[in-house]
Amino acid sequence: MSSVSLEWKARFAGVPLVQWMAVVFVIGLGLFPITLALLRLWAVTGITPLGALTTVQDQPGAMEAFRFSLLEAAASTGLTVLIGLPLAWAFGRYQWRNIQLKRALLFLPFVTPPVVAAVGFLALISPGGLLHSMGLDLRGESGVIGFISTATGWQHPGHFIALVVAHVWFNLSLMIRFVEPVVAQLDPTWEEQLALLPTGQTAFGRVRHLWLPVLGPATLVAATYTFFFSFTSFALVKWLAPSSNTLESLLGEMGGTAGIPGYRIETSLAVLAIATFQMLLMLVMLILAGRFERRHSQVLAMHHEGRNRERHGPASRKWNWFVNGILVMLLAPLLSVVLASFRVRNVGGNGATSQWTFEGWRRAWNGDFSTVPLMDALTNSLSYAFIALLVALPLGYAVASCLVRLRQQGFERTAGVLDSLCMLPLSMSAVMVGLGMVAGILQWFPEMFSFPYLPAVPHVMLVLPFVIRLMVPAIERIDPIFAEQASLLPMSKMSFWWHSRGAFLVVPATMAASLCLAFSMGEFGASFLVVRVGSWDSLSILVDQVASRPKFDPYVFPTAMALATILMLVTLLVLSINERARAWRSRHDV
Amino acid sequence: MRLFTFVMLILFSAPLSGCIEVLDPITVDEDGTCVILDAGRTSDGALRILTYDIAAFSEEMMGAFENETGYEVELITVDDSGGILEQLLQTQQAQQADLAIGLDNTYLQTALNYCLLQPHAANVSGISTTALQPYDGPYAVPFDRGDVCLNYDETRVDGTNLTVPTSLWNLTEPAWSGLTAFPSPVTSSPGRAFMSATIDYFEHDDDNTTDAFDWWKAMAENGAIFTSGWTEAYEIHYSGGYGEWVEGHLGDAALTVSYCHSPGVEAFYSGNWTKSTSLTLERSTFHQVEYAGVINGATEMSAANAFIAYLLSEEVNRNMPENNLMKSVLVNATWPETDGYAYHTDEPTLNAEISNERIADEMEAWISDWKRATEL
Repeated sequence: MSSVSLEWKARFAGVPLVQWMAVVFVIGLGLFPITLALLRLWAVTGITPLGALTTVQDQPGAMEAFRFSLLEAAASTGLTVLIGLPLAWAFGRYQWRNIQLKRALLFLPFVTPPVVAAVGFLALISPGGLLHSMGLDLRGESGVIGFISTATGWQHPGHFIALVVAHVWFNLSLMIRFVEPVVAQLDPTWEEQLALLPTGQTAFGRVRHLWLPVLGPATLVAATYTFFFSFTSFALVKWLAPSSNTLESLLGEMGGTAGIPGYRIETSLAVLAIATFQMLLMLVMLILAGRFERRHSQVLAMHHEGRNRERHGPASRKWNWFVNGILVMLLAPLLSVVLASFRVRNVGGNGATSQWTFEGWRRAWNGDFSTVPLMDALTNSLSYAFIALLVALPLGYAVASCLVRLRQQGFERTAGVLDSLCMLPLSMSAVMVGLGMVAGILQWFPEMFSFPYLPAVPHVMLVLPFVIRLMVPAIERIDPIFAEQASLLPMSKMSFWWHSRGAFLVVPATMAASLCLAFSMGEFGASFLVVRVGSWDSLSILVDQVASRPKFDPYVFPTAMALATILMLVTLLVLSINERARAWRSRHDV
Repeated sequence: MRLFTFVMLILFSAPLSGCIEVLDPITVDEDGTCVILDAGRTSDGALRILTYDIAAFSEEMMGAFENETGYEVELITVDDSGGILEQLLQTQQAQQADLAIGLDNTYLQTALNYCLLQPHAANVSGISTTALQPYDGPYAVPFDRGDVCLNYDETRVDGTNLTVPTSLWNLTEPAWSGLTAFPSPVTSSPGRAFMSATIDYFEHDDDNTTDAFDWWKAMAENGAIFTSGWTEAYEIHYSGGYGEWVEGHLGDAALTVSYCHSPGVEAFYSGNWTKSTSLTLERSTFHQVEYAGVINGATEMSAANAFIAYLLSEEVNRNMPENNLMKSVLVNATWPETDGYAYHTDEPTLNAEISNERIADEMEAWISDWKRATEL
């Protein structure tokens, strides 16, 4: 080893130079667009972000949107944890038939383009839909919902409930992703030992002394992300709660006009004020969540997932009903999308009838020249997803390793600050990311727009925090004894790394890979502004483009739904392959 | 606290103020005429068209153009006409497209004021004078047109529950409370066109004490529904259109803003049946013309001009009603008779007369006034 790198190691808490570089790159990548966007808006308005922040209460609709965002995000998070925690616990603890498929299905909502999810939910709550047939008119707000509205003076309770339910549907997979592995890999001796103690004799005692400390951090991480996604919800709000706005949807409405010199300056000021306000809010939440997570994190002995499941056997009938029931409910909006791809309205003087036809699929396949061809969009989507994976996974691992090493060396505060900085992209509005990319990069680096994979950049930015969040606890959980034992054996550096660390990270890395692929495939908001500068439309953008057309022509909607179905099937296929890889590793290694 | 300090440093640090000069291109020379900018990108032989989702661009049509001319075509699609203007403004430093298709006459003058277009080489002799009336200069050429007007549900506005308005003030009466839906002029092209029409309407009515914004305020107080786009107003809220058959329909509005030919389009796709019709009160309708223009900073100039010529050709432009749900701009253009398209399409008696220049000059002030009027 050269003296230079030794010096680096000594000076920087034993963290290798390459990991520091990764941290700097990731933070820079997160800060770059937001800085460009802020500078642009500052230049256009002549008002600093601080100055703009002081005007936020005067911006039209801002405070109302803030209150609505807080309320719906809190309700969505609470309900997600309430349903998701037992679901993840049961799913991680017992043996399930077709578990890879079920896991992929549970994950599917998270990667469904919001516009598709919105339409799926609308189908459920509209007349003829499942919820409407059960007497819950969340859309028209008649019957019970209308009564609640009249009795309480609460405007549009049905829309609010529909939105919260949709957010729960969307975010349940986060609970599965973060909590299930902890349950599945928990050393069973902990439970056995606790059962021998007085505190482990009651269910409450077991929850308090085992499950809460063990599952608390993972639950909190999942709840944090649920809150973020609900707080910054855009498409679902637009379709399911058309009378309300979140801060993000408010920004989305104004975003296209912002940052243009001499043109609608008051809109640029509103965007600057609201985006700064939202960013600071999200930063505070991230810092609090990060501190809480670190305070409750601990090294857990890991155990073989398959053997754990064998030990607990198949789930009881009660749990089967619960898990399968949730699966059916999760699939209901998606199935309605598939059905809608075959159904076409036939309107005439005698009213409307439905016909079943493959015409929507034929049009989706053949395409038209107003949109990119299906295969091009699919190729773009897959290319961006795999680029995001190939870049984000090693980068995320390097950053996570750095953070864990810093903590192990006693640099808790430094690690905390860096951790929060790496989470910065999550605190930004998609509008700001897009504006920074388009206005900023175009202004200073126009040649970057010749780079064919530019839309993958915001995908990398947005998936990196997830990868880091998954990798940090996974690396922390690895018992140092494995490294000590491996160091006694004669093996190469690569082999040492594999046996002391790599082999233990296969499952979280596979999960992170699933997240990268899925998130990128379904990602819509952040890349929306970027892709429309060039001909880079992804499949999720294509679905939105076709679904947003005026639907005088009855085949427009089935065509959009056929495209959405293709996106869902491809995503499901990619996830299933990934889950099979995870299962294979789980069977053949630790 | 360190993170906060760091973020605050980024957000508020004074030293950054030195780097925030906006690098806009010099677009106007000493005489005040627009300078033709250098190409914004390296030529790759492909014609890039910035447009919104225009259904007229069928695979056959584009294939025919590519075969005839040898140019490859790529489309960059945004949401609507306003999106095209905003995209041109955002990317003015280095334009990534060659041809803009879809700017309408409420946005065109702003585009011209910002020098976003350059002269085209198209022959406009076959275009009707009506289509050329809002703009007849060298920077943009009309390719389709239509009249924005109020549409209402005939089954609800049946003379019993609701009567057909004879004045826009009728819509502020209690009977219409909560039954109207309007796309916002801030974010919607039809919304912008209709608001422009109301300016002219109330400048020419008998009452000199009120103006358009008094009416908008009264509408807001009467429970008018305001949406960000045409789709939400027509598809979700309007009970007379196809939205009734689409998921998520609310149907709480009996009247909304669309085109005078929207009922014709409804009938065309529903076997000559519709319950929607248009309200063509004098000066409450707006003649909307959509334009194609070569972008200032374009790379593929000749390809752009060739495409404009193709767009104005008989075989393409005459089919606008079926393919793009808008009227052709060619001389003697008509609506098709098929399935009641022409039968259910109303011609305005007198469109609002409001110039492109006035729209460009006063739109920002109107939008501010509109926001104030509709905020309760």
